[in-house]
Amino acid sequence: MLWLYLHFPHLLLDHIRRSREDQGALVIVEGSGQRVIQACPEARTQGIRTGMRLKTAISLAPDLGMVRADASREAGILEDQARWLYRYAAHIVLVPPDGMLAEVGSLQKLYGGLPAVWQTVEQGLNERQLNAWIGIGYTPLAARLIARAGKGECTSDKGHIQRALSQMPLLAAEFDEKACTRLQRLGLNTLGEVFDLPPGELARRLSPELLAYIQKIQGTRPDPRTPWQPPHSFRQQADFVQEIEHTQGLLFPLQRMLTELEEDLCWRQQDTDSLRLVLKHRHSEPTRLHIRTSGPEHRADNFLNLIRLRLEQHSLQAPVISLTLSVKRFLSREAPSGQDLLGETQDLNEAWHTLISRLQARLGAKALRQLSPQADHRPERAWSASEVLRKNGTALKPGTELPRRPLWLLKGPQPLTEAPVAWFAGPERISGGWWDGQRVHRDYYIAQLNSGQLAWVFRDAREGWFVHGWFG
Amino acid sequence: MSELLNTLMQDARVWQGHRHVQTTQTAEPTGYQVLDNQLGGLGWPRGALSECLLDAPGIGELHLLLPLMQRVCAEGRTVFWLNPPHTPYAPALARAGVNLDQVVLIQTEDEGDFLWTLENCLRSPVTGLVVAWPGKLASREVRRLQLAAEAGSNVCVLFRERRYAEQNSPAALRLELEPDEQQALKVNVLKRRGSWPGQRCSLAMAQRADLSFRETTRIVRGPWSGSTG
Repeated sequence: MLWLYLHFPHLLLDHIRRSREDQGALVIVEGSGQRVIQACPEARTQGIRTGMRLKTAISLAPDLGMVRADASREAGILEDQARWLYRYAAHIVLVPPDGMLAEVGSLQKLYGGLPAVWQTVEQGLNERQLNAWIGIGYTPLAARLIARAGKGECTSDKGHIQRALSQMPLLAAEFDEKACTRLQRLGLNTLGEVFDLPPGELARRLSPELLAYIQKIQGTRPDPRTPWQPPHSFRQQADFVQEIEHTQGLLFPLQRMLTELEEDLCWRQQDTDSLRLVLKHRHSEPTRLHIRTSGPEHRADNFLNLIRLRLEQHSLQAPVISLTLSVKRFLSREAPSGQDLLGETQDLNEAWHTLISRLQARLGAKALRQLSPQADHRPERAWSASEVLRKNGTALKPGTELPRRPLWLLKGPQPLTEAPVAWFAGPERISGGWWDGQRVHRDYYIAQLNSGQLAWVFRDAREGWFVHGWFG
Repeated sequence: MSELLNTLMQDARVWQGHRHVQTTQTAEPTGYQVLDNQLGGLGWPRGALSECLLDAPGIGELHLLLPLMQRVCAEGRTVFWLNPPHTPYAPALARAGVNLDQVVLIQTEDEGDFLWTLENCLRSPVTGLVVAWPGKLASREVRRLQLAAEAGSNVCVLFRERRYAEQNSPAALRLELEPDEQQALKVNVLKRRGSWPGQRCSLAMAQRADLSFRETTRIVRGPWSGSTG
């Protein structure tokens, strides 16, 4: 097995930088807020170094952006990276907080050699504006040590890798401090010199754990790793250094996230019809937005348009400090139908979904309704309104068996205020509803009012007269 | 420049009083032969606004649109009802042969949403017909809608109150609707592109309540005993 290790020297920094439009100096400070632990190139040109005290850094660059390191957040970001790497490699192991292993020995044939694999991974990193050091080794630990030392080379030559490992100083080999001192007292300075010691002596003189570690590097002791499994949902988060006050500022990071969503959906060969956005604020409850499309969709542009519409409607309550996009519902993708070979007929189905989604995004899903008749004798229950759905084919046959009804139904019966000038048809007695407590007992007539309107009027059990519809 | 002028003449955008120009604009037949004749054999203009001005519902205004609505639904295109004053009654529409799967009812809250929605519906290729009850509309807004209607090629009918008949409007067709004798609908053409307005006709609409002339003479007295009881 050949392992490729990705070491992200400043993952959190990269993650935050790519969600920013302006490229100001930015540093990551350790949890206690005392020291700089990662600095972006802009900060470094201003003289800020890692390990510097925060006060010194601020005096060097007064408008410095600062983010506190957060282990759980970094773990989340690392997992996001595994998600895209999974498209290229099946066997991935996360090595928190900043590393990732991929088994590449089995991929060489697929990609046409190790250089091609290397290039694919590098390209993926570039597309996502991430910095990573790559190392290759025959054991997970060897790959890790090489990557972290920055000595990674694109080769699968055993001798070459062995030499690189042998020349590594003890400090770079990640021994604990005590073991390191003891080895140095023995006069050993490189990893190669430790490899040359007889294993029995090593275990007796130092510790069995140290021997196990060394054997794991060399590959003489098994080092099993549990492979990472991709989750069945999509989740991305963008964190901002400066709070975002205008919706316009949210669109920039959203665009990148939606492009990744599109890519993710493309790889899954799936679509989705609902997105969830969570906007976190510093002092108030997070805003949750649920964006729905009327049909399956995967294109970033369409999602962005819908979100833009939605954000135009709801101005931000408070400045936003972070943005999370998640998708939990996936639909299998259907092949576009109804399109001829040359694509001349417009895909009306798609245009329909686009229009309805747009309208729903702005007006709310409840503003759009579709009507259907219901099997009930009571006029107010003989119809229903439901959510808009695309139904294909099945042209309705004219229901001539239905009784004559007016085209307009009033929202509720209105008292009849004048005597009609002419009576036409009736009475039609409608009596029902004794089974559910909504009792209706009415005699319906068709009558013409003085204004020329043709009305559907009824007399109820208490001799009251009402208009219930117009023959429009 | 002369090309531009020619287009204006041919599309009947410039009204020439001295001669009648056969326009090239596309239209949908209304389904009423009498009315089509009055409208120069065309009908509802496509890619333009039409206005129906009336005082109160229930005089046959929806039946005027039913033939078109049936045709549009049968073609698989969508009919949008925007802010109707009452509920379009599903059993009656189904009975009239309108495919309800193609009917979408939209209620908007404010005027901005109304215009935005109408514009979006008009521009979409899936739309066949938009029927809208706009309430108050400024002349500038009607103009904006007219432009949106031109972008698509759909029929758009606005129902407005009759008092707007005095106000001028960029709509391509304006009809004034009044009730007539024997439940008929009197149509008065206030404006149409490329010709003189002022045509009048009366469309029989008694069928909307299944009334025939025989019946109307038969029922003279209703249950109403003299005065309101």
